Amino acid sequence: MKILVPVKRVVDFNVKVRVKADGTGVDIDNVKMSMNPFDEIAVEEAIRLKEAGSADEVIVVSVGVQQCQETLRTALAMGADRAILVKTDALVEPLAVAKILAKIAEEEGTNLVILGKQSIDDDCNQTGQMLAALIGRPQGTFASEVVVEDDKVTVIREVDGGLETISMSLPAIVTADLRLNEPRYASLPNIMKAKRKPLSEKMAEDYGVDLKPRHKIIAISEPVTREAGIKVADVTELVAKLKSVGAI
Amino acid sequence: MDVNFTTADLTFQKEVRNFFQNEYPMDIREKQEKGIYLKKDDHIRFQKALYDKGWAGINWPVEYGGTGWSATQKYIFFSESGEAKAPRIVPFGLSMVAPVIFSYGNDEQKQRFLPDILASNIWWCQGYSEPNSGSDLASLKTKAIKDGDDYIISGTKTWTTLGQYADWIFCLVRTDDSGRKQEGISFILIDMKTPGVSITPIITIDGTHEVNEVHFDAVRIPAKNLIGEEGKGWTYAKVLLTHERTGIARVGESRARLNALKELLDNPSNDVHNLSQNTIFMTRLLEVEIELKALEYTELRVLSAISTGKAPGPKSSILKIRGTEIIQTLDELFLEIGGIHSLPYLPDQYCDASDFEAIGPSFAAKTTATYYNNRKVSIYGGTNEIQKNIIAKQVLGL
Amino acid sequence: MDFSLSDLQQMMQDSVSKFIQKDYDFETRQSLVNSDLGYSEDNWKLFSDLGWLGLPINAEYGGIGGNLIDTIFLQEELGKGLVVEPIFSTLMLGANLVQKHGSSEQKTTMLEDVISGKLKLALAHAEGPAAFDITQISTTARKEGDKYILNGHKSVVIGGASADKILICARTSGKVGDENGISIFIINPDQQGTSTRAYTTNDGMRAADIKFNQVILDATSLLGEADTAFNAVDQVLHEAIVALSAEAIGIMGVLIDKTAEYLRTRQQFGNAIGRFQVLQHRMADMFMETEQAKSMLYFAAIEMAENKTNAKRAAKMLKVKIGSATRFVGQQAVQLHGGMGVSDELDIGHYFKRLTSINTLLGSKDYHLNELIKIPAIRQ
Repeated sequence: MKILVPVKRVVDFNVKVRVKADGTGVDIDNVKMSMNPFDEIAVEEAIRLKEAGSADEVIVVSVGVQQCQETLRTALAMGADRAILVKTDALVEPLAVAKILAKIAEEEGTNLVILGKQSIDDDCNQTGQMLAALIGRPQGTFASEVVVEDDKVTVIREVDGGLETISMSLPAIVTADLRLNEPRYASLPNIMKAKRKPLSEKMAEDYGVDLKPRHKIIAISEPVTREAGIKVADVTELVAKLKSVGAI
Repeated sequence: MDVNFTTADLTFQKEVRNFFQNEYPMDIREKQEKGIYLKKDDHIRFQKALYDKGWAGINWPVEYGGTGWSATQKYIFFSESGEAKAPRIVPFGLSMVAPVIFSYGNDEQKQRFLPDILASNIWWCQGYSEPNSGSDLASLKTKAIKDGDDYIISGTKTWTTLGQYADWIFCLVRTDDSGRKQEGISFILIDMKTPGVSITPIITIDGTHEVNEVHFDAVRIPAKNLIGEEGKGWTYAKVLLTHERTGIARVGESRARLNALKELLDNPSNDVHNLSQNTIFMTRLLEVEIELKALEYTELRVLSAISTGKAPGPKSSILKIRGTEIIQTLDELFLEIGGIHSLPYLPDQYCDASDFEAIGPSFAAKTTATYYNNRKVSIYGGTNEIQKNIIAKQVLGL
Repeated sequence: MDFSLSDLQQMMQDSVSKFIQKDYDFETRQSLVNSDLGYSEDNWKLFSDLGWLGLPINAEYGGIGGNLIDTIFLQEELGKGLVVEPIFSTLMLGANLVQKHGSSEQKTTMLEDVISGKLKLALAHAEGPAAFDITQISTTARKEGDKYILNGHKSVVIGGASADKILICARTSGKVGDENGISIFIINPDQQGTSTRAYTTNDGMRAADIKFNQVILDATSLLGEADTAFNAVDQVLHEAIVALSAEAIGIMGVLIDKTAEYLRTRQQFGNAIGRFQVLQHRMADMFMETEQAKSMLYFAAIEMAENKTNAKRAAKMLKVKIGSATRFVGQQAVQLHGGMGVSDELDIGHYFKRLTSINTLLGSKDYHLNELIKIPAIRQ
């Protein structure tokens, strides 16, 4: 069984991003970039499935600029087997990514695609769902547990108010939630091995997908800064305060 | 990570070194070695030699006759020119007004001005600062009022370096006072021979005439001399400032001066006290050597970032601050090593090549003048305090 | 010319940095400092699993074969977490010396054990008057028949309490000041005649003073050949300056980030104190000092890794720069945090304390400045 894991290069979650002076986007000059944390969880899950004997090969793919190959190398160092870089300097929206992934999934004959549930930069939470629709296969989103048995995959989903267990027939799409696993640290020997693992480069145009954005970004702005709070001595004072500001 | 140059870079380095040893007028080189001030004609002849070599437009695009050098090549050029004690390129034409013209000027302006700037046929000076607008440059008041196809310009510009030689001046002028102060500023080119332009010298504490005040008394300038859009001058000037700061650290030049100090310590002349046994002096010398080595690597790091497509960013303020601090520390060390021979004020000794009889060792004569003169380096180009504001705001988010 | 990181350096940095963020926050670190052992054996096992313990060891002994430049990126990240596990003493001092001076059999067995996490090492080089210059040591090993009799007192052996084996620098011939006649002995901590007094250092790390009274050693205790260890030890100590300085760079980077963040949020007189120019300029100075120190680190690391003519001089220059930068950045980070800066509860003071130790270890700024004045650069 082959597992496909798409990974996105995003601003590292520790970086406090700043909006560009002209408000057209976030300033990413000289900013540390990393793999989207949810994608890292997806990679970890795929590798664990392979280690448990449920999969034969883990293929990672990234769509974006040349530097995405660093993200792919990280996935290879964690234990993925090979990587595909789909190069484009254009801003790609989830739909375009999903279309490219659909082509790759078909080309590679993958049985399972595991994605991060969303990326921490645009927070779209769309790619996995769009991909499922495009290839007409079942989806198990927000997974906190994934079990593969024969031609079925059982997914425990984190839904509002609890957990939902679903069983899907393969091929299928799974998107990883935060509690699915704890991704490993890449070890130095594996980092060295990753250098020799195959990484093929394609151009986005090779897939004949229309990358044109469907959205127009009108403005990007900093969140409103939170005003300082006050401390109250006890419940009575709290209630009085809430009343005085008309909150209750 | 490595700091080795490629074979091509090394070949280039050889060529540059050869140029600075053999290929520009030797009488100028001699003056530089002896520490004699250059005259207008010397500067022009030096820059024309660069032009003949095809090296005048260091930061220029190839299409306007520029070198098209990589960041590494520029580093090599400035490093070699500094170490060879070659004259510094007078920046106002080649590296200050030209980039504004080729970036924001129209075709007619490009054709009219760029070739003469490249060939150093026209001497330019800079009209930014005003008597009441130093670090707060955007508060400038020199007015340009539209009158038909002309602007009428009135006001005073100051600290105009080598303005006494200039044929043209590029100015930031106020074309509008209604909005934000930065938004009413325009960039205009003025022929110094235009009626109403007058110039008065400012003598600096080293006794030299390097800077001037330039007065504009209802000077009528054709509007076609305005570069780009009216009101965008501030943006143009600012882009230029952060755009290209190669060489601002002046590492090569400081290294040459450090080596000269070491030479003096190795071969103490009889009439100078031997400082190599003075641990305090030696400590200061070592500390500046270490700081300079660190700055060399900081500059290489900035260049490496540029060559991988990143913006040099506000970090280049470090190059300005530390580079000028090092220059001024070296001045102090020279003053120390010059001893009492740095006291006599005998400008003839370094103002021309006359056979003036030196008092004390020849290097000592100019040490004090250089020390005084270089107090400017931490003041001009955005004072070091302004540079720290930039770091605090843009790097540290304060 | 290229200052970008290799894939290995970049990914190792990411990996170490993730470990610090997830598993090594300040509270965790403090609980290790206050534990009996002073560090975590589980972490040591993890470091081995992740291959960190093999980073500077040649591939022929099962290591990664990283050079000194690679190790600075490991050290820098470890510095950010004030990591207390004895990596510096085991790898940068002990294993590096074994690799440079050990016999091929010693290299094979000892280095393999280091990589697998079974063997922690310490280098006992320092004595009161010989903190850096090992020609000044007075510990001796007198040859008697095929045995050596070891006598002396080694001070502040970093990692000396937890080490499974300790490498002792002793004089086997010649007199104080001679480069010839320095030998290294490998001893077990419980060797008869050895008394060890273990303690915590000011920065929360562990060290020991070790005294030798008529300790009888077999010739097999010798690391490599007798009398000829000076060059190897001197090289190791200069490389260790680079590694230790990288740790300081990591720490200063954290102090800059944390102090800037504090200045942006701390309100006084109705303003974030970062609005005050005197503090802005102070922080700009701290930033410049750190950047300049980092440049010096790269310079020295490259000179040492490429074995350039004045490489050791470069390491000494680095130690001088690190000395002034750590003093300034450490002190000012405390100052700008106000009273909280001197409170034990906050991490700032602990970063400051580690910087203070780093300045003293392997020769202080003043020591190396003096050495640099005495020994001029070789002109090329």
